[in-house]
Parts: sequence; structure tokens; C-alpha cells
Amino acid sequence: MAGVELKNLSKAYGDVEVLHDINLSIADGEFVVFVGPSGCGKSTLLRMIAGLEKVTGGDLMIGDKRANDLSPRQRDIAMVFQSYALYPQMTVAENMGFSLSLEKRSKNEITKKVQEAADALKLGPFLERKPGQLSGGQRQRVAIGRAIVRNPQVFLLDEPLSNLDAALRSETRVEISELHQRMETTMVYVTHDQVEAMTMADRIVVLNGGYIEQVGSPMDLYNNPATEFVAGFIGSPKMNFVKGRYADAVGAATLGVRPEHFEIGQGDNTWEGKVTLVERLGHDTILYIRVPDAGVVTVSLDGQHNQQVGDTVHLRPKPEFIHKFNEQGRPIVA
Amino acid sequence: MGRWVLLFILGVIAVLMVSPLILTVFTSLKPTTELVNPPWYPPISPTFEHYARVWTDGGFSRYFLNTLIISVVDAIVMIFIASLAAYAMVFMEFRGKMILQVLFLIGLMIPVTAIVLPLFQIVRSFGLLNTHLGVIFADLALAVSIFVFMFSSFFMGVPKALHEAARIDGATEFQIYRRVVMPIATPAVVTTALLEFLWSWNDLLLRLLLMTQDEMRTLSVGLLNFQGTMTRDVTGLSSGTVIMAIPVVLLFLFFQRHFVRGMTAGAVK
Repeated sequence: MAGVELKNLSKAYGDVEVLHDINLSIADGEFVVFVGPSGCGKSTLLRMIAGLEKVTGGDLMIGDKRANDLSPRQRDIAMVFQSYALYPQMTVAENMGFSLSLEKRSKNEITKKVQEAADALKLGPFLERKPGQLSGGQRQRVAIGRAIVRNPQVFLLDEPLSNLDAALRSETRVEISELHQRMETTMVYVTHDQVEAMTMADRIVVLNGGYIEQVGSPMDLYNNPATEFVAGFIGSPKMNFVKGRYADAVGAATLGVRPEHFEIGQGDNTWEGKVTLVERLGHDTILYIRVPDAGVVTVSLDGQHNQQVGDTVHLRPKPEFIHKFNEQGRPIVA
Repeated sequence: MGRWVLLFILGVIAVLMVSPLILTVFTSLKPTTELVNPPWYPPISPTFEHYARVWTDGGFSRYFLNTLIISVVDAIVMIFIASLAAYAMVFMEFRGKMILQVLFLIGLMIPVTAIVLPLFQIVRSFGLLNTHLGVIFADLALAVSIFVFMFSSFFMGVPKALHEAARIDGATEFQIYRRVVMPIATPAVVTTALLEFLWSWNDLLLRLLLMTQDEMRTLSVGLLNFQGTMTRDVTGLSSGTVIMAIPVVLLFLFFQRHFVRGMTAGAVK
């Protein structure tokens, strides 16, 4: 096992720099999630750690070794791909044991390790099948199994759940978290889904436009976003941003209120609006409310609320949870 | 109604395509006395005497062996060099890749007849005239471009993530080529083997040019023995043609499915 250190790392394709001055220290055994919108550079950064993309500036350390110029095989890492990337002509067992066979390990050892990984991932009955005969979820588990058998220093996962349906995704999410707890290996996970990031990560790295916006624990990012972008990206449904008189009233250029941080009731300092859409999710009810001077505000209430489209409601942001941002999108600290 | 018209048209085309082959087989089986009959008359008392004559006296046993050696080696070596070159083109980044691709493209555009003379001189300067190796080198050089493109188009359909996964698994480029990419390239391998074998088997020009000694001749050149300036040994020519065609027809029938799949590989995902 080993940590990963990125020092002033950058990546350019010709004259176009896509990652700028990335500094990050990932501790040994930590589960770090890179999250951000499409094109923010998160996959590129992961692929640089893997050795699939050249580092064009700065230093990449894996353990205490500078890995900039090491080939993927010299880095002792394993990677799970979004598309699974299983070898179609090989059986599940051969896929999982491929890296060990390249290392010329004995047949007995390979069989033993593959069997152990297959047991851990409930793949035992499928070992002699080809990838084409497996479901999406099973293929993803094979891809994870292929990474596990190597017992690598660092585990890299590139949007491994995005091809799975919703139910399987949450199931596999739990499996990966359990796997991390069992193996205690450093894991770097890329996703654009902030729910995955929040539920799995020890620390989240939010990337935007090739820069790191913020690094922190999930709750740290949720409670204390360092930028307006992070505030909007972390949390679901996303934070409401209001400009104009409501923001002016609290001395901010932009006022941020999470949908779950509104109360409904009469009184002073409430925002009056009309319900335009109601989404009932059972546990929660999401209201979309058109508030004059604030636009459409999303409000998340518990499932027992009974508002209908067209109802007039009065909203009150809970003062202890509001976020104030200046013109530059930075938080205003009281 | 439309279906019957279509079937009729297809039937006519099929007869036109197959009839030369059938007439050749008829002629090759006719005793000399029956040659006065029109060619579309089937042989009344079929005989294999012409085949025996062509095989022994006509030297076809030797020609057959020469042709087989050259064609088999051509096909096998072509699979290796074309697939290795295509692998590098598709999966590897290196200096001068663009130039190499252009060179292969130029290779596709130059007709063989335009370069037979320099080719002859090159082969002679290597002392390879009248050797199997001389013809094999020339065959490979002339056809390698098209097979590099064929393999390239097939490899481009192989997900890049497979190559990357194998690199992460610790495979060298050659191991990826041998254990990951080639096992899934069967259609391209079969197509290359068949096409190169066919071209090599049927080629006349290069063999005529590079094999001047009788014992080094191939079947295609051997057939010329039956055609003089004034006369023509019709039964010998027919028997020789059938001997030459049989392996090709058998091969195609046997590998037809793979072959068609390889030809269309890369057309759609």
C-alpha cells in the first residue's frame, strides 16, 4: 500500500493546458473521490496517476517513488474502467488471473488468488464463463476482481458504476465501500455523481475547468463550500442561488440556500411564492416554487407535506444554514 | 412476380459465372476423340488420363509444390508483418507515424506493372532469382500495404480501454498484441491468409519474371506450357486449370463465413 502525492501537476495537449497546478496529497489507505462536471479533467488526472497519460508538468509520487516516467506496469496500480474492459476471449478466471500470469506466477497461486477474489465478489459460479455471457453488474464485479487479485498499492476506479442501472449502482456502491474497508488500500475514484462522492469518500476533490476547487470531507464540503461552484455541485437537489433584494438583505452578492434548509410558515422575513411543480418521492417531497425577485426556488420537505401546484406558500431560509457569497463566488465569512 | 423475375436474373448471372468452370471440367475429362464435340457437351466416357499426364509429364507435381510453398509462406508471414505494423499504427504513438502511414498509402496506389523492372533488379542483386524466397519477398512487399490497412481498420474497432487495461495489468506491447488483440482478430487473420494465399496462388507476372528455371515454376506459369504460338493442348490446359483451381475453391468454401465477416469488418460497429 502507498499514498499518492501530486505536486504542481499539470497536463497540456500541445499548447492547451487542461489541468493546472494540481497539488494533492492522498494518504495511504485513503478513499479519495474526484468529482466534477464533464470535461473538468478528473478522468485525465486519474489516467495520469495510472500512467495512461503523460505528465507534462510537476511531480507525481506513488509511495516514495517519483512515478512521472514509470510505465503503468511499474507503478503497481490497478484500474477499473467505466467500460469494464474485460478481455472478451478469456474466461472470467483468465481475465482475473491475467496480470498474475504475466508475472509468471505458478498456476496454483493464480487459481488460489482468483478463487479468493471470486468468493469475495460472489463470482464463484461464473469463473468459466466468458464476459459476453455475464450481466452488466457481473462484468463490473469481474473488472473489480481483476484489480483485487493483484493486491496493488493503489486502486483506481474510473466511473465504474455509470453503466449500471440505479438499483445495481447503489448495491455496487456499498460493495466497493466494504471492499475498501476490508482491503485498506488507497483508492482513487472518479465520478460525476455527487451522491457517489458523498457516500463513499473519505475526502472529496472537486475539480472544475482543470483546477481543484476544494478538497475536504463530504460534510466539510456540504457545510463549508469554498466556492459557489462547490456549493452548487455538492448536495442534491442542488443549492438555490438567489441574487437581488433577498441577497442584498443579508449583505451578499449571492445568497445560497439548500432546498432542505427552508421552513414553510407565516411571519416576517418570509419569501412568498407559488408552487409550480411537486415531486413526491415518498420520504421527501420536492417543491418548485416561483418566488418574485428570486426565480424558481427548490424546496425539499419531508414526505408528509401536502402542497399542491398553484398553492401560495411562505418560505423562510433557516438563518444558521444560509451561505453568503461575494461577487467572485467566494464565501463571505461573518 | 417480382421475386421470380429476380430469381431468373440471378439464375442467368449464376450460369454465366459458373459455365466457364463447368466447360473447363468437361473438357479436362473428355478423351481426345470427343474433342470434336462442342465444348458444352458433357464427356461421354470421362477419363482422368489428362490429369495424370499433366501431373507427371507436364511437371505439375513440382509446380504444385512450388506454388504451395510460396503461397503458404506468403500467407503466414503476411499475417505477422501486416498485423504487427497495423498494431503499431493503431495502438502506439511514435515519431514518424504519419510519414509511415503515407508511405503505406503510396504502396496501395502503385501498380505492380509499373515497378516490375526495378523489382527484378533488386531481387537479382540479392541473388534471389529462381528462389522461393525472392518471390516471397516481392509478394510481401507489394501486398503488405493493403493488409496493414485491413488490420488497422479491424484494430480500430477494438476498444482502446482493452489495450489500456492490459497495460495496467502489466503486459508489454508484444504481450498485448499476442494475448489480447490477436485472439479477437480471427476474422482479419482469416481474410488476410485467404486473400494473400489466393493472390499468391494465382499470380503470373512476378513468377514469370523471377522464376526462369523450369523446376522453380509455379502452376500459373506451368499452364503456359500448354499454349504454343500455333497450337494449344486444350485438354492439358483444362486439366491444369482444374488442378490449380481446386485448392482455392476448397479453401474459400471452408472459410467462407470468416472471410465475408473479415471483409466487412470495421464497416459498422
